[in-house]
Amino acid sequence: MVELRDVRIQFEEKKVLDGFSLKVDPQERLVIMGQTGSGKSTILRLILGTLQPSGGSIFFKQFEITKLQRRKLQQVRRHIGMVYQYSALLSSRDVRDNVALPLEELTDKSRSEIDKIVDEKLDLVGMKDSKDLLPSELSGGMRKRVSIARSLVLEPELILLDEPSAGLDPVIASVIDELIISLTEKSNVTSITVTHEMDSAFRIATRMAMLYQGKVIEEAEPEKFKESENPVVAQFLSGSTEGPILEDSQDAIAKK
Amino acid sequence: MANANPPVVVAQEIGQVGRNFLREVGSVFWFIAHTFEETLERIQHGRVPFRAASFFRHTERAGVDSVPLVGLVSFFLGLTMALLTGYQLQRFGTERLIPGLVAIGFTRELGPLITGIMLAARIGAAFTAELGTMQVSEEVEAIEAMGIGPLRFLVAPRILALFLLMPCLSTVSNMAAIFASSLVCKAYFSIAFVYFLDLVKDALLIRDIVTGVLKSLLFGLLIGAIACYRGLTVKGGAAGVGTSTTSSVVTAITAVIGFDTLYNIVYTVFFPA
Repeated sequence: MVELRDVRIQFEEKKVLDGFSLKVDPQERLVIMGQTGSGKSTILRLILGTLQPSGGSIFFKQFEITKLQRRKLQQVRRHIGMVYQYSALLSSRDVRDNVALPLEELTDKSRSEIDKIVDEKLDLVGMKDSKDLLPSELSGGMRKRVSIARSLVLEPELILLDEPSAGLDPVIASVIDELIISLTEKSNVTSITVTHEMDSAFRIATRMAMLYQGKVIEEAEPEKFKESENPVVAQFLSGSTEGPILEDSQDAIAKK
Repeated sequence: MANANPPVVVAQEIGQVGRNFLREVGSVFWFIAHTFEETLERIQHGRVPFRAASFFRHTERAGVDSVPLVGLVSFFLGLTMALLTGYQLQRFGTERLIPGLVAIGFTRELGPLITGIMLAARIGAAFTAELGTMQVSEEVEAIEAMGIGPLRFLVAPRILALFLLMPCLSTVSNMAAIFASSLVCKAYFSIAFVYFLDLVKDALLIRDIVTGVLKSLLFGLLIGAIACYRGLTVKGGAAGVGTSTTSSVVTAITAVIGFDTLYNIVYTVFFPA
């Protein structure tokens, strides 16, 4: 479904991804974990084609994202839903209009058909009663749910989720996680989630990958991932202050 | 650096500024071209490029809501212009030239220019701040990620609204200024309204009106494009939005005055009276 081959990207002097390769199979729920600022969100933007890598190839189905013309890229993006970390709802539009936007702009559906789909998607995420509210009137969890509804409205084959449970209390975070699982199972959608929230990651994932220093250093099913002998993964999962992660950071600081 | 030759350093600085200026000018023109291309593509596919409601919302804000400001400022400028020129012309007994002077001055030059400056400050700043805020809160990226072209969806209705509304607002400006000068002419120089109108009609040529309208269209396009370009290239959060908004107003006003001068030079050289 998605494949990244030897992808490289750097921002000014900082190498964010350095030979990053990853394959995602259909109907998988892949969770990419990594430290803050390690380039997890960058991976999602590269898959969407809103960022261009300095090297490597990115495939979504048979399309090589990095080589698509703008118009074709826009068509391909309609098969991908994206949920942003801070939801990215259009602040001037109410919930209904936010969810309806892709349908209004990209399909020929009538107003009544659009309303029906919007109601259905908002119902799925438990937000049907809030459709007249503006994003500023919603809590973080509600915004996230609306954002998920918006990402599902065009029936995508792939959903990208950027820190879906970050900043939410544990109960709401669980609700969001369960929602992601049930939606992907019901609609047979493939999902790629990036997060550093441990509980969420293990709850959602059917497979997990650890991003470290621009590369995937471990890739396994959740149970095997938990038992990884890789010292970086072990330290990341335990949250210990002793181990290669901090040592590497301090080396980097010392080199500067 | 201590051994650097001062004239060389100055030349390098000027070169750098010049290069940045040309890069910015090029970027704005590409921005207009891409917006046009994206909009046309959509039309070719038999779909409306943006919703009529969105367009009319912008025309209302840019046009209808700007009428009081443009009218009032132009009224005061018309009063001042008529008074100042009137007292000078009166010394030679030629105060009957005031109506033509104000009418031609505003129709060809001051109407579009004053309206352009006011719209750059009032609407250009609003467009930049609005799009800039959308940019920093990832709303623009979300629109792009859905497969919706942000240029035709966000930029095209704004530019088109300013492009079409500028001539209307310039006309409001001209009428307000001419009306104000008619009051001065009646009160201080004993020129009756009917005679005033005859003098205006005698002085104004079609080419003056066409010149004013063409300038207004050009200014509308420039202000809209610069404001939207600055908005969509905001970097650095709230501070970036502030910086870009200031930059947008300064650039748009400078561009309006610069293009006005350029237009006048070209027009005078190639189409002399």
